[in-house]
Amino acid sequence: MAANNYFGFTHGGTQYGAAAAAAAGAAAYQATPAAGYAAVGHTPAAAATYAAQRATTAYEAAAAYQPAAATSYAATASSAPTYDYSYTRVQTYDNAAKTAAFYPQPTSTSFSAAADPAFQAKSSTTYTAGYQNAAARPAGQASKTYNYPAAGAAQSYTYPNQAAAAATANKNYSGYDAALYNAATLYVQQQAHTAPKGAGTWKASRPGVGAAIGQKPKLKQPPKPQQLHYCDVCKISCAGPQTYREHLEGQKHKKKESAQKQTAGTTPNAPRGGNSLRCELCDVTCTGSDAYAAHIRGAKHQKVVKLHTKLGKPIPSTEPVVVPGKSTTTTAKTGAAATTAVTKTTEVTKVVATPKINFVGGTKLTTTTPTASAAAAGTAVKEEPKEAAAAAAAPAAATAAAPAVARDDTVAVAAAALGEKEVEPVGQEYIEEIKNEEGKVVSFNCKLCECRFNDPNAKEMHMKGRRHRLQYKKKVNPELIVEVKPSLRQRKLQEEKLRRQQMREEMWRRREESAMDDEERIYWEERRRYEEEMEYFEWCRRGAGRGMPPFGPMGPMGPRFGPIPPMLRRPDSADDRHVMAKHSEIYPKDEELNAIQKIVSNSEKALKMVSDDIAEADAPKKDDGTATESKDEDGKELPRTLKGVMRVGVLAKGLLLQGDADVQLVVLCAEKPTRTLLERVANLMPKHLATVTPDEKYALKLSVEQASLIITNQTEPQINVTVTLTSPLMRDGAADEPTASKDPPDVLDKQKCLEALAALRHAKWFQARASGVQSCVIVIRIMRELCQRVPTWTPLNTWALELLVERVVASAGFPLAPGDALRRVLEAIASGLLLPGTPGLIDPCEKEPVDTLSGLTAQEREDITASAQHALRLMAFRQVHKILGMDALPPPKFNRGKFNRKRRRDNSCSGENGDSEGGDGKKDKKEDESEAAKADAK
Amino acid sequence: MRGGVRGRGGPRMGRGGYKMKTFVPRLPFDIYLCEPAFQRAKPAPDETPLQQALLKRNTDLSPSPTEQTAVLNLVTKIATVLDTLIVTPGSFDACQIEEHRQVGSYKKGTMRTNHNVADVVVILKTLPTREAVEALGNQVTEELRQQEPADVLVMAMLPNDRGFEISNSEATVRVLVTTVHQNLRKLDPELHLDQKILQSHLAAIRHSRWFEENAHHSSIKVLIRLLRDLKNRFEGFEPLSPWMLDLLAHYAVMNNPSRQAMSVHQAYRRCLQLLAAGLFLPGSAGIADPCEGGNIRVHTAMTLEQQDQVCLTAQTLLRALSHGGYKQVIGLEGNASIATDMTVWEGIVVSPLEKAYEKPPERKEGEPGDELADDDDMDMADN
Repeated sequence: MAANNYFGFTHGGTQYGAAAAAAAGAAAYQATPAAGYAAVGHTPAAAATYAAQRATTAYEAAAAYQPAAATSYAATASSAPTYDYSYTRVQTYDNAAKTAAFYPQPTSTSFSAAADPAFQAKSSTTYTAGYQNAAARPAGQASKTYNYPAAGAAQSYTYPNQAAAAATANKNYSGYDAALYNAATLYVQQQAHTAPKGAGTWKASRPGVGAAIGQKPKLKQPPKPQQLHYCDVCKISCAGPQTYREHLEGQKHKKKESAQKQTAGTTPNAPRGGNSLRCELCDVTCTGSDAYAAHIRGAKHQKVVKLHTKLGKPIPSTEPVVVPGKSTTTTAKTGAAATTAVTKTTEVTKVVATPKINFVGGTKLTTTTPTASAAAAGTAVKEEPKEAAAAAAAPAAATAAAPAVARDDTVAVAAAALGEKEVEPVGQEYIEEIKNEEGKVVSFNCKLCECRFNDPNAKEMHMKGRRHRLQYKKKVNPELIVEVKPSLRQRKLQEEKLRRQQMREEMWRRREESAMDDEERIYWEERRRYEEEMEYFEWCRRGAGRGMPPFGPMGPMGPRFGPIPPMLRRPDSADDRHVMAKHSEIYPKDEELNAIQKIVSNSEKALKMVSDDIAEADAPKKDDGTATESKDEDGKELPRTLKGVMRVGVLAKGLLLQGDADVQLVVLCAEKPTRTLLERVANLMPKHLATVTPDEKYALKLSVEQASLIITNQTEPQINVTVTLTSPLMRDGAADEPTASKDPPDVLDKQKCLEALAALRHAKWFQARASGVQSCVIVIRIMRELCQRVPTWTPLNTWALELLVERVVASAGFPLAPGDALRRVLEAIASGLLLPGTPGLIDPCEKEPVDTLSGLTAQEREDITASAQHALRLMAFRQVHKILGMDALPPPKFNRGKFNRKRRRDNSCSGENGDSEGGDGKKDKKEDESEAAKADAK
Repeated sequence: MRGGVRGRGGPRMGRGGYKMKTFVPRLPFDIYLCEPAFQRAKPAPDETPLQQALLKRNTDLSPSPTEQTAVLNLVTKIATVLDTLIVTPGSFDACQIEEHRQVGSYKKGTMRTNHNVADVVVILKTLPTREAVEALGNQVTEELRQQEPADVLVMAMLPNDRGFEISNSEATVRVLVTTVHQNLRKLDPELHLDQKILQSHLAAIRHSRWFEENAHHSSIKVLIRLLRDLKNRFEGFEPLSPWMLDLLAHYAVMNNPSRQAMSVHQAYRRCLQLLAAGLFLPGSAGIADPCEGGNIRVHTAMTLEQQDQVCLTAQTLLRALSHGGYKQVIGLEGNASIATDMTVWEGIVVSPLEKAYEKPPERKEGEPGDELADDDDMDMADN
């Protein structure tokens, strides 16, 4: 129905349009169709439906559109309508009934254009959107230069009038109209089957268009008959008519001829991309300025020049004609062109664009295949409206834009060509000359590009060449600028390069990020340490547990066997582990410690009783049986003869080693100890020892020269307790004249007594200083063992060693791990601390500055130093076990690898229960403990 | 939850306030840093002979004014030529020079006599190919010859493609070639000079700059000269690079509690003591390179074996020095055999030491190869 309506309407419209010359008469059907037509004319969707409804061909759609557009002129230019109608009508009346369908349209559109401002606006927007920007310039140009010389009817298009309308829209229209006008004429011509004549007129207009926009095409002179038989196509001369004919029939000529026809107007052999230079004369396209130069120098070109000079033909300048790549693509594959639509439109573009170039084939086109090209162009144009409907006059825009593009291209090309000419040859020093036996240069070898060539010219060209330059850039000077070649392969390479670079950057970035990874690693490292620490504390605790029970109340000289002061750091280095392992090896066993403790405490108790006895025995002499206690309370009494007993030496310092069987006690006496006193004590001792421990047998030995008595037990771990009698008076004696004068005749050996006193001081000093220093006691034990084991070190006495180790370790200024502490001691000795010329080791327990090391001979010092130096290096190179006289420990087996740890942490992170981590930790700790126990057991 | 609270990798972590501790290499025992702990138990020995001997040795080692002038002349000429090349880049196209700087002992004023070699580092803008270096060498020589045709100049390429050297009858200038930083990544080992060498040349520039700013004290310069002489005489010190010696000398002279320069003889002894105490052994903090980021310890440039060798040589020499063998150590008498043979000083037998370093067993894969990373992890590797 709708279709019918349309038909009916249009038909009616035809009549109406035919009758009515003015737009005002359209009022009758103004109501409905206005919108409809507006839509049909200008919105692609509506156009499509319209076309579908009418089941028209593309032609019709186009045709329907054309007049509509054409009539818009009529609408704007009030003087035009007459022409318009007459023109279209006259042309189309001859046509099939179909064409009649759009006759009404002009009227309707003219009415709508005139009466409906909405439509106006709409149409203008569509156009402007389409090509206002792109086409503004060319359109403007066109409005100035366009003339329609051939299409006589078209002259009734009054442009001035149009220009009187809105400025921008006008311009746009003009550009668009130009296309439309072409299309219209073509269509009409086609429809009217006025091919020969119409084509003639049209073809006249074609070059006109081209000329109007671009330069004057360079037209080849038609070949004149010559004496010389000259073939214009091949640009050669033939010796005679015979050869000339043969040439003309020859394959080569035919090929060239057809090629020329094919290329129809544009330059042949346009390169795929990029720019090239063309020798007009020889019709040769060169890819670069060097190639062009080579061509110009070449024999062939010279020959042609000569020939042309002879013929008196114009010789184009040797200036190369720059051929921009894209815009020179062949325009007319005329025959085939008729079928494709989209390419056709672009072809039109090309044709318009080409004037930028020397447009050679203009005439050729017309002469060779007028009809075909006309048809082609016709189709193109016919399709154009379709396109226009679809893309709002895109082709026109493209058409208009093309020259601009082309111009830009040309400029770019010119610039490129200019740049290329400026290229300096680079890297001459990398080109080797290869000489033959006679010393003549036969060829060249480019070391950068690894290629060879024989020609000096080639060498020159090579040095300017892209490949060489790229190599040079890559290998010699990265700042050399090598223009980018847009070839596909190059681009691929470029991309590849870019990608690689990105990857490299990525890698760098990652490396930076690895700082983060480090943090991670450190975290786990710390965690592990922490766990080991716990393990170590556990170890210490155990050590304490199985260690000796505390001794009796022994005043300030309390035993120091107990645990090593809590460590700040778990021994985690290999050195630490070895030192700790060695330490636990040399640490006395429980039974030894128990035995020592037993005999020492028994001796102490017995001595106490002896002291009581002696005091009691002495007291009656003076006070006649008064109780000792009362005298003590009085305080007037002389102190008891045996004032007290104290532990000294390794016992007091807690430096006992496994196998140590000698411990020292010192009994301080009120007066200078005499032989009599010593014998008295020795006589009293067995009785009291028996009372203290009835079931233990102790042997007692008196050693007057040692100023001591030695108590030895009878059971297996034989322990000797040396009890030395001494008195502070022995020291003061020298200064105190009256006391000295009172010296009993049998006083004990002074030197021994002084040594005992010194031992007492050393024990005090040790407790005050050394035992508080981190790792100090461990290292002293280790060193003591070393001194016992290695003869070289034996001369170093215990006191000197303690002092040395304490000084060295304490001077570090911060707590050291056992391994580090041992190493530092070795370092100190290695750096010559014992050698002559060094400050020596001052004894803090003597009033006078005394060098503790004075007992060492120079050779002993030297030997110890040498030994320490070697030991230090052994330690640095992970052979601490050699110093310690033990087997290298296998690396600890951590059954928690990174993964394990990670998993555990993840668990804790999951936050199911806060205790999970602690629980895990505990469990691990226990496991470690049991492992450690196993290791210990071994 | 806990993980969040504890943070991760933060400085405070763990229960019981356990502080995060990374592996901090320790400085070895240095008596000059802990003097208070070692009060003198006996009077200080008279060190004047040692002092005199050192000063004499220094005088012997210092270059004569003639030598200095000769080197200065040649350096100035070459510098002029290089400057010309910089300001007129078009005249020479094998390479482009960014800048040139004097480095090394000549620049630092620690040259020794009979070793009239000045070092100049040339930084190329272009990539340093061997051809470019050779062309540059030829160009410079050519221009020098043009300036003074009378001079007998010899151009020779340095081994390892470090650059080239130009010598006349009296002096030698080594021109070490490197390139700008951004080019270092573009190097192709097949075509260009070794990247490590190029980097070392760049480092040389930094070193001389650092030296100018920090180590201008004459004690340091004298000590460096003496140490270089020591290094040249004793084979065991061969691995010590000039830069290590510079830093060691600076350390020995300046690094004391008072921060006052120590006298040369003290510092000389101290150098041996430090080396003997294992300053340059694995596990020691050594001396951090002031010209490299990331706290790189200079001695890690030596292999473990070399570190051992340096240490044991220093240890033997220290003992010889302590027993009165200063003349032999300083080089006024005797020869280098004191470091390797048993010697007797005033009745005391000083015996040489054995190497302690052992090639690690094969279980450590690739360890002997990368000594740089190795010793850092020595303590860690077992864990």
